[in-house]
Order: sequence, then structure tokens, then C-alpha cells
Amino acid sequence: MALLKVENLSVGYKSKKGMVNAVNNISFSIEQGRSLGFVGESGCGKTTIGMTLMGLLPENASILKGDIIFNGNNLASFNDEKWRAFRGKEISMIFQAAMNALNPVIRVDEQIAEVIQIHNPAMSKSDVSNQVKKIFSLVEIPEDRLRDFPHQYSGGMKQRAIIAMALACAPKLIIADEPTTALDVIVQDQILKEIKKIQKALNTSVIFISHDIAVVADVCKDICVMYGGHIVEKGTREEVFKSPRHPYTKTLLGSYLTLDSYEDINVPEIREAPDLITMTGGCRFSANCNCKSQKCQCQTPEWVNLSSTHQALCFEELLNKDKND
Amino acid sequence: MTEEQNIQTPIIELNGVTKEYSSKKNFLSKGETNIIALNNISLAIQKKEIFGLVGQSGSGKTTIGRLLVKLEEPTKGIIKLNGKPTNKLKGKALKHYRSKVQMIFQDPYQSLNPHLSIAETIIEPLVVNKIGNALTRRDKVLETLEIAGLSPGEDFFHRYPHQLSGGQRQRVAVARAIILDPDFIVADEPTSMLDATIAIQLFQLLLDIRKKFKMTFLFITHNLAAARYLCDRIAVIHNGVIVETGSADKVIKDPQHPYTKKLILAQPGFNFKN
Ligand SMILES: Nc1ncnc2c1ncn2[C@@H]1O[C@H](COP(=O)(O)OP(=O)(O)O)[C@@H](O)[C@H]1O
Ligand SMILES: Nc1ncnc2c1ncn2[C@@H]1O[C@H](COP(=O)(O)OP(=O)(O)O)[C@@H](O)[C@H]1O
Ligand SMILES: [Mg+2]
Ligand SMILES: [Mg+2]
Repeated sequence: MALLKVENLSVGYKSKKGMVNAVNNISFSIEQGRSLGFVGESGCGKTTIGMTLMGLLPENASILKGDIIFNGNNLASFNDEKWRAFRGKEISMIFQAAMNALNPVIRVDEQIAEVIQIHNPAMSKSDVSNQVKKIFSLVEIPEDRLRDFPHQYSGGMKQRAIIAMALACAPKLIIADEPTTALDVIVQDQILKEIKKIQKALNTSVIFISHDIAVVADVCKDICVMYGGHIVEKGTREEVFKSPRHPYTKTLLGSYLTLDSYEDINVPEIREAPDLITMTGGCRFSANCNCKSQKCQCQTPEWVNLSSTHQALCFEELLNKDKND
Repeated sequence: MTEEQNIQTPIIELNGVTKEYSSKKNFLSKGETNIIALNNISLAIQKKEIFGLVGQSGSGKTTIGRLLVKLEEPTKGIIKLNGKPTNKLKGKALKHYRSKVQMIFQDPYQSLNPHLSIAETIIEPLVVNKIGNALTRRDKVLETLEIAGLSPGEDFFHRYPHQLSGGQRQRVAVARAIILDPDFIVADEPTSMLDATIAIQLFQLLLDIRKKFKMTFLFITHNLAAARYLCDRIAVIHNGVIVETGSADKVIKDPQHPYTKKLILAQPGFNFKN
């Protein structure tokens, strides 16, 4: 059985102009010990998914429909009290721009000890301290830096401390939201290796969120590509990145520069982001899609099965038309 | 690079440029230590070139940019524009220099004044330099908006930065940078906050502007793939020292310095080995 199974989930934000349909009818699941990547441009709904899974949506947001089944519990119907016991213990999250969230006046080891104590009030002081040491060695922060204050750490070390905090209670699932976006390539490379190593060592499940497709491809075996609140393509990373089928996935890959692919780059047209308030039916990528089909603008596409693991949200005839081009 | 270009005077030259900052070691110790942000940097950038400056954060890239636009002066060394030393320019000469060398900053959310409309933002350099009258300035702004890909220009005239996407804001920054027809533009990680599909469009814009106006760029980045796409030559900087310079292709295909090799290995790709 999957550790987490999300079915037909929609999440919206109330705003002055109307309901922002930030996440629309998405379904996915993740097994224990697997890594699932969400990739898409800013505003496509990635953080909203993470916050929904953590029960941390802001006041103006609500789950409009759907189920979130985690280990037999439906998180979609959790109340505050249930969330308090659950959050950080079963699922924890590395938040976007979290490096700045370390408390500047508390020593790093104490901040991690605090997280452990909250969820394990009965644990003895020495057990907590041993757990802290264990986690620090896992994220490769030297023991003599445990008592430091956050400002004494480099950017990479701060991010390691944030990862340590997410690991504090040995959660079954970690959600990492753009964990390396503020870091430069060399530190990013170290942190990605760290995340992969930890995931293997602890058999933790990881949901990894990024706008950077190569970063997601590096960490995750399974991929969901998002556009305008929809998942538009899912599959293994080989399927999605080596034989992309959805027009948006192709656009995204076609404009991504790597050291080998810099020559055959497609510069897409200047595009408007989809209006998440007014767009209800139809394919959200239709305004920017090369297919120029009328159908997509009014009719919501359906999942086309491409293999037992690979699916695209499009119309079958359009997917095939594209293939023959 | 052709023979002919080689004998031309470089548009920008740095000769033995060093920049030191004094800094308190940390809040517990009172002693001051000097941070050497740039150590004896020498570079020459040719007309119409897009020259890449690549390195990880803290390596000194932005400091070079700030020196070039004269937000700061070097501690040692000489910076030349079109062969003329520019150290300690004052008054009119400084104003003229500033109109010839422009900068586009990394963060489109912080580099534009939130209280100025797009028209006011772009027109400011014309006003400061007393170029044209109200009517010609308006036309110039509209024309520049179009060049920067903000079309139709009228639609953007009265908008404010918070009403634009990150990519559109960077186009406003580009419009502001080119409106005085400068010789040289420093683009400091202009796309590091943008999505790939938006970043590639901005790169295209820089390439178009280079072609149309024979503009010269210093492109600052930590992304080697972007440097390879955009730049003719690149310099790799590490801890304030340039460790390698060469044609973009050569440096990436055949890196000589261990640090360049490390940088190349750290670039994420689609290798699926693990
Ligand atoms: N608190 C909020 N109120 C209203 N709209 C919001 C709020 N937070 C996010 N949104 C909107 O929801 C959409 C998805 O946002 P988000 O999940 O943060 O995307 P991503 O993480 O992919 O960049 C965006 O259009 C965003 O503007
Ligand atoms: N105003 C300043 N005062 C003290 N140190 C500075 C100042 N500006 C930059 N530095 C230091 O100079 C070095 C280079 O910084 P910077 O040029 O911003 O690097 P980059 O742009 O490559 O990230 C860093 O160690 C930075 O801390
Ligand atoms: Mg986000
Ligand atoms: Mg910088």
C-alpha cells in the first residue's frame, strides 16, 4: 500500500477577485522509500501542495475537494489538534527560503533538541542529546559546530541544519520545497547528494519540489510536471525527461540550458501565466500551446496512458498529432 | 576572435584591480580584518562581446560589477573605458561615465523602486541627463519598452513594479539600462530568480540588443550552461582571483583549472546514474 495517496485534490485561496484555483483535481501517490518530484514554474501550485500536506494552509485557503490518505488516515479531515500531534513527526517539511528561519539567538543544537522534545516529551535529556548528535553526523555537520549560533554557519551549513531539523523525529515522509534554490551550484550539489544519501540510509519517502527540472531529475525517480494548478504529465524520470509527451513538458525541457544541450534551445513565445481565478474548464496550457486547437480551450483534457507508469493530461489525438510532426 | 578585434582598444579594461573591505571579524571580537574581495584582477572586454564572469557566491562577481558602474572605487589598480583611465572621476565626467556604463541587478523584486511607475522608472535617466523634452522622452520610453519586449508600450506605461511578473520587471530593468544608449552593460545574474522558460527569453533579448545596438555586456552568473549559451569568452573567478579565462567553448570543453572542473561537475544534468 502506498504511504501517501492523494486523490482528486483541489485547493483554493479566497481573494478579493474571487477563488484562486491554485491546485486543481490532482492525484498522486508515493511508496515508502521512494522519491517523487514536483516540477513547474513559479505560481503553478507546488508550495500549496506542500502546505496542504503539512496542514499549514493560511486562513484564506481551503481544501475544496479530495482525499489525502496517509498511512490509513485522511489528512483532509484532520482538525488542529490532530495536526499538532502529526506535523513534524510523521511528515516534515523543509520550507522554501528556510535558511533564514533558524532562530538567530538560539544555538543550533538546542533548536533541534527542541523539535525532538516537543514530539517526544518522555525522552530523557541524554537520549535527546544523543539523537541530536546522530542527526548532525548524518547531515555531516562536525560535532564541534553543534553549539554554534546560526550566523556562524555558511549558507550550505545552515541548509544542513534545516535538513537536520526536518529529520529530528524520523518522519516517514519529508517534503523539500526548493531546498537548494538560494544556494549556488557547488553547495547545491553537496546538499542534493546529502538528501539522496539520507533518503537511502533511512528509507524515508521524499517529495521534492523545485522549478529547476535538472535538480528534480537528479533527486527523484518519479516525476509530476505541473502547470497552472494541474499535474499535466507524470512518469518515471526517464519517461518524463527522455520522452516527454505533454506540450508543456516539451516547452520546459526545450528551454532548459544544460552544458550539453545549449545548442538546440527553443525560445518559447512570451507567455502569460494562466489566470487561476477565471480559468475553470479547458486545458490551462491551451493559450500557450502550439497545438492551436479550439477543443482544449473549452474542454478539460483527460489522462492519456502512455505506459503503465507514464501519463499525460491532454487529448489523445493531439498528443499523437504532435508525435507525427 | 579575429585579428582585427585583437588590435582594437578594449571597451573595458581592468588592470591589477584589488578591492578590500574592512570588516569586524565577528561581534565578539573588536579587531578589524580586511576582506580581500578582489585580488589583482586583470581583464579586457572587446566591443560587441558578451563576456561571462562565472563563479560561486562570495567569489567577488558583484564587486566587479559595482566597481565598473562606479558605485565604488578600487583599492588598487586601474579601470579603463575605451582606453581612458576612469579612477576618481568627478562631476560632469563621472555623470558621463555613468551614462555610458549601466547595470542590471540580480533581484528584479528589489532593484526597481516600488513607488515609481514603469514610465517614471525608465524616463529617469533621460531627466537626470537632461536629454529631450517631455514629448520626445515619452516617445523614447515607448520605443524602449517595445525593444525590451514590453509591447504595446502604452500598456506598461502607468503600471507599477508589483503589477509585473519577475520576467517583465527584468525587461523594465533592461529598458532602463539601454535608454541612454550606453557602451557597456553589466548584467548581474539577471535571471537567477526566473524560471527557465522566462530566463531563455531574457537571454534572447540580450542577444538581440547586442546585435541591434552593438552593445557590449559583462554577464555575471554561477550557471555555466547559461554562460556557454550567451557568452563569447568567460572568466572563472574564485575567492577574488580569476583562475581561468578563454572562449566559452574552450573553458567548458577543456577546463584547465581544478576549480573550473569542480564547477562543471557540480552542474545538474540529466544523467540518471544514481
Ligand atoms: N495566500 C495566498 N492568497 C492568495 N493566493 C495565493 C496565496 N498563496 C499562493 N497563492 C496563489 O496560488 C498559486 C500557487 O502558488 P504556490 O503554491 O505558491 O506556487 P509555487 O510554489 O508553484 O510557486 C499562485 O497563483 C499564487 O499566487
Ligand atoms: N560592502 C562590503 N563590505 C564588506 N564585505 C563585502 C562588501 N561587499 C562584498 N563583500 C565581500 O566581498 C566578497 C565578494 O562578494 P560579492 O562580490 O558580492 O560576491 P558574489 O557577487 O560573487 O557573490 C564576499 O566575501 C563579500 O562578503
Ligand atoms: Mg513555491
Ligand atoms: Mg553577487
